[in-house]
Amino acid sequence: MTYLEYSVKTVPTGWRKILHLNWPLVVLLTAVASVGFLMLYSVAGGSFSPWAEPQMKRFGLGLAAMFVVAMVPIWLWRNLALVAYLGALFLLLMVEFFGAVGMGAQRWIDLGFMRLQPSELMKITLVMFLAAYYDWLPLNKTSRPLWVILPVIIILVPTAMTLMQPDLGTAILLLTGGGLMMFLAGVHWAYFATVIAAGVGGIWAVFQSRGTEWQLLKDYQFRRIDTFLDPSSDPLGAGYHITQAKIAMGSGGWTGRGFMQGTQSRLNFLPEKHTDFIFNTLAEEFGFVGGFSLLALYVLVLIFCIVAAVQNRDRFSSLLTLGIALTFFLFFAVNMSMVMGLAPVVGVPLPLVSYGGSAMLVLMIAFGLVQSAHIHRPR
Amino acid sequence: MIRTPLRPLARILDAREKGENPDAIERENLRIRHEQIRDSSRVRAEGRLLVLGLTFFCAFAVIGARMGTLAASEPREPRSYATGASIINSRADITDRHGRVLATNMSTHSLYAHPHQMIEPERAAQELVRIFPDLDQERLVKDFTGGKRKFLWVKKKISPEQMQQVHDIGEPGLLFGPREMRLYPNGALMAHVLGGTSFGREGVHAAEVVGTAGIEKFLDDELRDPAREGAPVQLSLDLTVQSVTEEVLDVGMKLMNAKGAASVLMDVRTGEVIAIASLPDFDPNKRPRPLTEGDASDSPLFNRAVQGVYELGSTFKIFAAAQALDLGLFNASTIIDTRPPFKVGGHKIGEFENHNYGEISVEEIIVKSSNRGTGKMALAIGPARQKEFLKGLGFFDPTPLEIVEAKGGQPLLPKRWTDLSAVTISYGHGLSASPLHLAAGYAAIANGGVYVKPTLLKTSGAQNGARIMSERSAAAARTMLRKVVTEGTASFGEVPGYFVGGKTGTADKPKERGGGYYKDKTITTFASLFPAHDPRYVLIVTLDEPSENSGKKPRRTAGWTAVPVAAEMIGRVAPLLGLRPDVARMQVERVYQTSN
Repeated sequence: MTYLEYSVKTVPTGWRKILHLNWPLVVLLTAVASVGFLMLYSVAGGSFSPWAEPQMKRFGLGLAAMFVVAMVPIWLWRNLALVAYLGALFLLLMVEFFGAVGMGAQRWIDLGFMRLQPSELMKITLVMFLAAYYDWLPLNKTSRPLWVILPVIIILVPTAMTLMQPDLGTAILLLTGGGLMMFLAGVHWAYFATVIAAGVGGIWAVFQSRGTEWQLLKDYQFRRIDTFLDPSSDPLGAGYHITQAKIAMGSGGWTGRGFMQGTQSRLNFLPEKHTDFIFNTLAEEFGFVGGFSLLALYVLVLIFCIVAAVQNRDRFSSLLTLGIALTFFLFFAVNMSMVMGLAPVVGVPLPLVSYGGSAMLVLMIAFGLVQSAHIHRPR
Repeated sequence: MIRTPLRPLARILDAREKGENPDAIERENLRIRHEQIRDSSRVRAEGRLLVLGLTFFCAFAVIGARMGTLAASEPREPRSYATGASIINSRADITDRHGRVLATNMSTHSLYAHPHQMIEPERAAQELVRIFPDLDQERLVKDFTGGKRKFLWVKKKISPEQMQQVHDIGEPGLLFGPREMRLYPNGALMAHVLGGTSFGREGVHAAEVVGTAGIEKFLDDELRDPAREGAPVQLSLDLTVQSVTEEVLDVGMKLMNAKGAASVLMDVRTGEVIAIASLPDFDPNKRPRPLTEGDASDSPLFNRAVQGVYELGSTFKIFAAAQALDLGLFNASTIIDTRPPFKVGGHKIGEFENHNYGEISVEEIIVKSSNRGTGKMALAIGPARQKEFLKGLGFFDPTPLEIVEAKGGQPLLPKRWTDLSAVTISYGHGLSASPLHLAAGYAAIANGGVYVKPTLLKTSGAQNGARIMSERSAAAARTMLRKVVTEGTASFGEVPGYFVGGKTGTADKPKERGGGYYKDKTITTFASLFPAHDPRYVLIVTLDEPSENSGKKPRRTAGWTAVPVAAEMIGRVAPLLGLRPDVARMQVERVYQTSN
C-alpha cells in the first residue's frame, strides 16, 4: 500500500505528532549517547573539555534536528529522496575535486559551525534513495536485470568516490548497506549468490596464485594484505592500535577497573581513544559488563527499529526504517569487530558514542526519518 | 507462470448478457492480482527479514563471545619480532665516563609543503606563523602561491606539540616526514667538546645526521659505523665534575669581570680529560652561526681551552726550574742573584712592578716569581736544550685532543730561538700555547716526569709516555709548586686537606695591531696540581681580561683572579673525584698575600 491509497486524514497533525513519536527509541538513543558523554568525560581525565561538552552540544543539536525531521511528513521526504541523493553526490564530488590528497585526506566541507563529511551524509541519502526507488518500482520488476543494474550503479558511484578519498570504512558501509537494501527489497537471491560466489572465487584465485608463476599480485601487495588482515604480525607498527586495544580490554576483565581508572586510555597508550577506539576505554573501565550493556542498548535500538518497520504497511517507510537500522547495525558491528581484533582496522566510529560531529548529526537525522515514518504511518 | 487472464472471455460474455459492466470484472481481477503479488512479496520480505535477523543474531553472538574471551584474556605486552634494524642505522650515543648520556638521538618530524596541493595557502601561512613565530608570513605566502615551487621545507625539526598544531590546520598541502635528530640532553654543558651536528643529505623520509664540530665531527665515521650496533662512545669526561667546573668558572668569570674563561681538569697518569670548559659557551642543540665579522675568538663557538693560544706567563717558570734541576745545573737551594740590571741581547729584563728580590734561592725564585732569576736559569740551560725540553712536553704541536678544533690550537713559536727568546720564554712570553698544552706540561711534573697525551676517550691504566725528566726533579718541582701556594703568589689557592700546588701566571695581552702590550688587559692563569704530595689531577684555570675591583685599584693578577676561582673549583671537585681531605697532613701554615 502506498500513500496514494490510504487516507492521510488518519495521520496525526500539528503538535499531536509529538505524542506519536517513538518515545522509547528517543530514550534509547539518549542512553547510548550518555554512555558516550561518560566515556569522553573519563578519557579527558575527568573533564568536560575538550570532548564531552562539544559532544553534548552536538547531541542536543542532533536531537533538535531529529524532532524537526520527524515533524515533516514522510511522503515529503520520499519525494526529496532523489534530490537528496544527487545533492550528497555533488558534495562528494566537490570534496573529491578540492580535497586532493594529503596526510589528513580532506573529507569534509566547512559549514562554519561544524565540518560536514559528505560521505556520512551519503550513508543516509543512499538508503533513502534506494527505499524510494523500490517503492516506486512495480513489485514484479524488482528482479529484472535492467532494474537491478540501476540500483547497483546508484550504490557503486558513491562507493567508488569514498574509496578514492580514501575512506575504506565508509566505502564498505555503503557497499554492504546498499546491497542489504536490495536484498531486503526482494531482489532475487540468485544475483546475490552470483556476486558472493564471484567475490569469494576471485579472492580465492588471488591467494591460490600466490607463489605460482601466474601470480596475480606482486609480492609486496600480498605482504600488505597480510598485515592488513593480521596486524598482530607487526605489533609496533600497523598492529599497534589493535594490540593496545586488546590489552585495554583484557585489563578491564569482567567488571572493569572502575570509572576513570583505565590506564591504557588515560596514559595515552591507546590511540584514537576518544574516537574509533572509545569502546576499549569503556571495556577497560567497566569491563565485560559495561561493554555488553552497550551492545544490549544497540540491540534494543535495532529491535525497536525493526518492529517499527514491520508494523509499517508503507513500503517506503518500512524499507527506509530497515535500511537505517541496517546502517546503524553495520556501524557498531564493524567498529566493535575492528576494535576487538575481529576485523581489520578500517576507521568506522562507534555510533553516537565516538567523538565526532558529522556522524552524530547524520545519524540523528536518520533517526528523525525513522520517527517521521513512524508518526506518519498508515493506520 | 500461469496467469489468470484479467478479462476472462467467458465471464465477460456472461456479464454482457446480464447487462453488467464487464470492466468491473477486470477491476476486481486486477485487485486480486495485486493482492497476490503483495502477499507473495510480503512472504518474501518476511523471509528476507528472517535471514537478516539471523545474520544480526550471529553478529551479536560473535561480538559478544569475542568480548567475553577478551575480557577473560591476560593482557600481554607486545614484542616486536624484528628488532634492531632501525637502531643500527642511527648514530651512536655519546656518554660520559660513567655512562651518562651526553648525546643521543630523538625521532622527530620535519615539516614540508606541497604548494600545489594547498587549499587555503594564505590561511595556512597565517596559522604557521602563529605556531612558529620566527617564520616570515609574506615569504610563506609568496612561496605557497607563487606556483613555481612544487616542494619546500618549512621546518626541519618540529616538536610533537607543534606537529599536532600544524595537523590541526587541516591543510592537505602541509606534510610531515620522519627524521632522527641529535639531542644533547644536558644543554650547554660540554658544548665545545660535543660540538654539534647538522643534517647532511636530506630526504622527505629520512635525513642524514652529520657532525659539524667537536667530537661529533672528529669521530663522525665511528659514530655512524653500523658495525658498532649502537654501542655508545664513552668519553673520559665526568658529567658531574664538568657541571661543577662550568658553574664555578661561570661565577668566577662574572665575579672577576672577565670576558672569557677556560679550565682544564686532567688525570695526570692516564691523560684523560675529566672536565674541560670554555666560556662563553652555547647550546649544541641550537648551534649558533659563526661570526662573520670581528674577532673569531670572541665567538661563543671558540674553544679557549683548546683553540685559544695565549702567552701563559709565569706558569712557564717551573719548566725552566725543573729542567735546570734535572740537568744538575742548580739545586733548589742554589742562590741566584736577581738584582738588576740583567740585559740579554740589549734588552733589559724587568720584574713585576720593578721589584728587586735580591739574592735568592731557586725555590724562592719560583715562589716569588722572579723573571730575572728564571731568565738566568734559562741562559744556563741554553736555547737548544730548552727547545728540546718544551718540544717533549708537547708545546710545539697542536694538542692531540679528539675534537676537530684541536688542530686549530697551533702554538705560536719564535722564528729564531735566540738567547733572548730562551729568557722570555722561560717566564712565559714569546711562546703562546693553549691551556690544554699547559695542562699536559704540568701533568708531566705531577706524574713524575712522563709526558701524557691529553685524551677525551675513556682509557684504562696509565700512559707509558716518553720520560722528560727524572722523578727526583719532578718531585723537587712539586715541592716548589706547593710552596707557591703556602708562601707565595698563590696563597688564595689553598684548599684545606687537598694540598694544592701550583704556579700563577699573568701576561699582558698583546695588541691586535702592531707590537706592544696593553697595560690594562691581562690573561691570568693558575696552573695547579693536587694533592701536591701525590698528584692525581692538574687543573688549569685561565681568565681573559679579568679585573678584581674590591680594592682601591682594579687588580688584574692571577693571584687575585684565577687562583681563588681555581681554589673554589678544587674544593668542590675533589670530593666528587673521590679524593678525601688528608686531615693527618693538615697543619696551620702561614698565609702570605702577595701578587703575581
